[in-house]
This record gives sequence, C-alpha cells and structure tokens, in this order.
Amino acid sequence: MHKVLNDRLAIFLFVFPGLAFFVLTFVAPIILSGYYSFTETLAPGTPVKMVGFSNFTEILFHDERFWLSLRNALLLGLGFVVIQHPICILFAIMLDRIGGKAEKWFRTIFFIPCVISVVVISRMWLSVLDPTFGIANKVLASIGLSDLQHAWLGDASTALGSLLSILIWSGFGWGLLFYYAGVKGIPADMYEAARLDGASGFKLHWRITVPLLSPVITVQITLAVITALKQMETVFLTTNGGPGDSTQFLAVYLYNQAFSASNYGYANAISILFILVCLIITFVLNKLTKNKNLDF
Amino acid sequence: MTKSKRTALWIFFLLVACVQLFPLVWLTDFSLVESSEFFSEKVLVWPDSIKWDNYINAWVDGNFLHYLWNSVFVSFVTIVLTVIVSISMAYAFTRMNWKWRPFFYAVILLGIMIPIHATLLPNFSIFKSLGLTNSYWGLILPYTSVSVPFSTFILTGFMRSIPVEIEESGVMDGASIYRIVFQLILPLTMPAVVTVAVTTFLNCWNEFIMAYTFISDERFKTLPFSVMNFAGQYSSDYGSQFAVMVLTSIPAIIIYAMFNEKITKGVMAGAVKG
Repeated sequence: MHKVLNDRLAIFLFVFPGLAFFVLTFVAPIILSGYYSFTETLAPGTPVKMVGFSNFTEILFHDERFWLSLRNALLLGLGFVVIQHPICILFAIMLDRIGGKAEKWFRTIFFIPCVISVVVISRMWLSVLDPTFGIANKVLASIGLSDLQHAWLGDASTALGSLLSILIWSGFGWGLLFYYAGVKGIPADMYEAARLDGASGFKLHWRITVPLLSPVITVQITLAVITALKQMETVFLTTNGGPGDSTQFLAVYLYNQAFSASNYGYANAISILFILVCLIITFVLNKLTKNKNLDF
Repeated sequence: MTKSKRTALWIFFLLVACVQLFPLVWLTDFSLVESSEFFSEKVLVWPDSIKWDNYINAWVDGNFLHYLWNSVFVSFVTIVLTVIVSISMAYAFTRMNWKWRPFFYAVILLGIMIPIHATLLPNFSIFKSLGLTNSYWGLILPYTSVSVPFSTFILTGFMRSIPVEIEESGVMDGASIYRIVFQLILPLTMPAVVTVAVTTFLNCWNEFIMAYTFISDERFKTLPFSVMNFAGQYSSDYGSQFAVMVLTSIPAIIIYAMFNEKITKGVMAGAVKG
C-alpha cells in the first residue's frame, strides 16, 4: 500500500495535467500581464514602449475611475452580505422546517434563476427595467405607484441598486443551497438540548442554528465579496459601467480600456492591481473571520 | 411545527416563488405575442393566437441548431477533461504521499480566487499567438482551467470521506494505481463527480465573456452569442428576441430538472466539510 501511494511517476501524471492547465490560463497570463503593465502599448501586437512604473502611479494617484470601481465593488459586496445572505440563511432555516414534499419542491424552484445564462439574465432585466415597455414600471403603475416609475438602469442614483437587485435575484439560489446544506448538517439533538433549556422559535435559531452555521457563513461571506469584486458580465451587458461611471467595475473598466480605448498597457496594469486586490481581500477576510477552509 | 404554521409558510414560499419566477414567466409570455403588445398597459397578456413566428425566426434566422451544437460539443469535452484532471489531482492530494502536496493544493485553490477577467487580456495575446483563438480549443482549454480548481476542491472534500480499506483491498489484488483511481475510486466518488459535471456544464453553457473575447468566427460561436447576434439583427422585434432567450434557457433547465437532487447532495457532501 505504502509503496503504491509513493509512486513518483503516478503522482507526476496525476498532478501535471491540472498544473499545466493552471499555468496556461493563470500563471502565464499573469506574467505576461506583469510585463505589459510596465509598457505603453495600444493593442496586442503593436509596438511596445517601456515606461516603468508610470502606469501604476497614474492608476493609484490620478485615476478616479479605478477607485470608483473599487468602491462600487465593495458596496456591492456589502449589499450581498447585509441583504442577500441574511435572506438566504432565513430561507434555508424555513426550508428545513417546512419538510416533506414542499421542502424539495421549493428548493428546486428557488434555484431556477441560477441555471439561466448571464446573457439571458442581463437582456431580460434590461427589458424588465426598460423605461418604455418594461414590466417594472407597469407593475408600479398598476398598484398606484406611478410616481416611482423610473429609468432604473439609466439613472446614476438607482443604477447600482438595480444591479444589486439583479445579482441578488440571480445568485439567491446558490447562497440558499450552501446554507441549506449547512442547516441539514446540524444534528437534531442540538435542538433537543436547546428546547429542554426552554429556547424556541426565533431564539432557538439565533442561539443554535446561526452559531453552528458560522463555518459556512465565513466561507460564504468571503466568496460574496470576491464575487462582487469579480463582477463583470452582468454590468458589461446591461449598463457597461454607466451612466457616468456609477456602475463602473474593475473588470469592465480594464476590458474597455484594452479593447475600446486602446490602452492595452494601462489595462494590464489595472489587471495586476485587480488580482492583488482580490488576493489581499481574501487574505484579510480569512484572518478576520479566522476561516480555516480557504486558508492559504 | 403545527399545521397552521406550516400552511402559512407554504403560502409565503408560494408567494416568494411567484415573485421570483415572474420575470421568467413574463419572458415566456411575451415570446408568444406580437411585438406591438409590448407597449400595452397589461402586465401579462393572453395571446389570442400564439405567434409561433417568433420561434421560427429564432430557430431559423437565429441559427439556433448550429449554436446549440457548438455549446453541446464544447460543454461535453470540457466536462470530460475537467473530471479526469480533477479526480486524478484530488487523489494525489488526498491519498498520495509527497512533499509538495500542501503547497500545490493551495496553489490550485488560488484559482478559485483569481479573477479570470484579469487574465482575459494576456490570454487573448497568448491564444492568438498559439493559434487558439477562433477554434474549439480556444473555449475548451480556458473553460477546463477555470473549472478544475473548484472541482478539485469538491472532489478532495468528498474523497476524504471514503475509507482507505477499499484501496487496500485493490492493492492486495494487484491492481495498478491507475486502475485503483479510475475503477475503484471513480465509481465511489460518483455523487461528487455528478455535482462537478453539472456545475461545469452550467458554467460552460452560460459562459459569455471568454467566448466573446476569444471567438469572432461564426463557426465556433456558442449559444449566448445567438442571443447577442439576434438582439442586433432583430433589434425592434422583441417577441423574437424573447423567443431566442427562452430557447437558450430550456436545455439548461432540463439538465437541472434531471440532476437537481444530485447537485444538492454534492454540495452537502463536498462544500460544507471543505
């Protein structure tokens, strides 16, 4: 047994393909990105001019859009943590309590938006929130709230909030599923013991379920913030950062810098900072929440 | 839980489900009517005669079958590659003894955290110089790379719960390590493999930005493109646009309906223990 599990060749053959994929799509591009980040290049394949750290100083000290993108990502992450996750936890507990066929049915239904393509979701919500034929405004009119009718994604004051709603809608199922799995993992005798102590209802769950879910919660919160930082497709396909940068995100910003504004070198410098931000935030959150599961 | 409480919860869930699924119902409803209906005051319409033309436009002019085939092919190859690569890595990470094991495990997990969007630009250059843009590999390679870290994470968690004795009996029978992994371990990890396969499928099926960046040739475009192309081509024909969106969503919903129990079980077995 021991000999088989020490087989060097087998270990190499098992790990090499995975690492090769990893190097091809993560390591090599990051190195290349690092190189381009010190240059002034219009597009891939055009002449390259070395400019040292000037892209980085420009971004960090003079580029308001970069900081705005970061702020938007953090606001979105805060929205996930404060609004989406408590709802997911609440629904996970209620699903577990309802039991029987209903438990299975509703669990299936609540997950459906998660299997819809981001392109469909984005275009669908563009239509839902459309100021001329969108269903959101029609519903408001039909319940007598015409005053609230609005170009939801076209107005700088509501664009980010609308985006948050779309993302909460489409991501609700995954969050619910992870918390539900966590709730199911809590042994029944924990509840028995608490009931004997006289706890019930809300108090029971606040004192027993939520603390026992804390390992799941810490992983989920880290993932929520990372998801907010990585946000791209929905923004790209709905507002593309506008109006007036109110929904600007790092990924959208760097994409447009590279392919629309022909600032390939500058965009790569944003990429490098983007990766650093993601890794630093993961590290800090892991330290803060003393999370062991995603520790590096 | 008392009966009345359960009924109240039932009604509450039903209401939430209606609100949640409403945009999808609206999408399907309006994919069956004339585009002029979009500007009526009604929230939902009952079509006097169903306008199948929208679906005919979507199917024929939207070139639906072509994009469908590309999506199926790319997803299938990606799933097979992801499962083989992840299961062998997960085995090396859980069972085999080697010095750099924790280091490489941590490196692979970093793949979950690194934003693929930050690697899009350099990958575009690399793929272009390797001749991978505008080919199936230009989608399959990055999709597999992106799926492997999460899949390895799920499979590693699951494999830890399998007793070692099973492999010991395999070794006694003189099976090679490769046979042990693919003939003994693979069937035992099936619940997690199904989870990995289904999540990989959903990711590939719905992926947009990499396909948008790496592919410009009609021949290799996948389903999300049909929605985009169509939106440009039929910009004022909302009914047909909605029909394309409904058609694109149906395969994913069917796959989900078939495997939804497995997804839940896999998440329960893998992700919670970590």
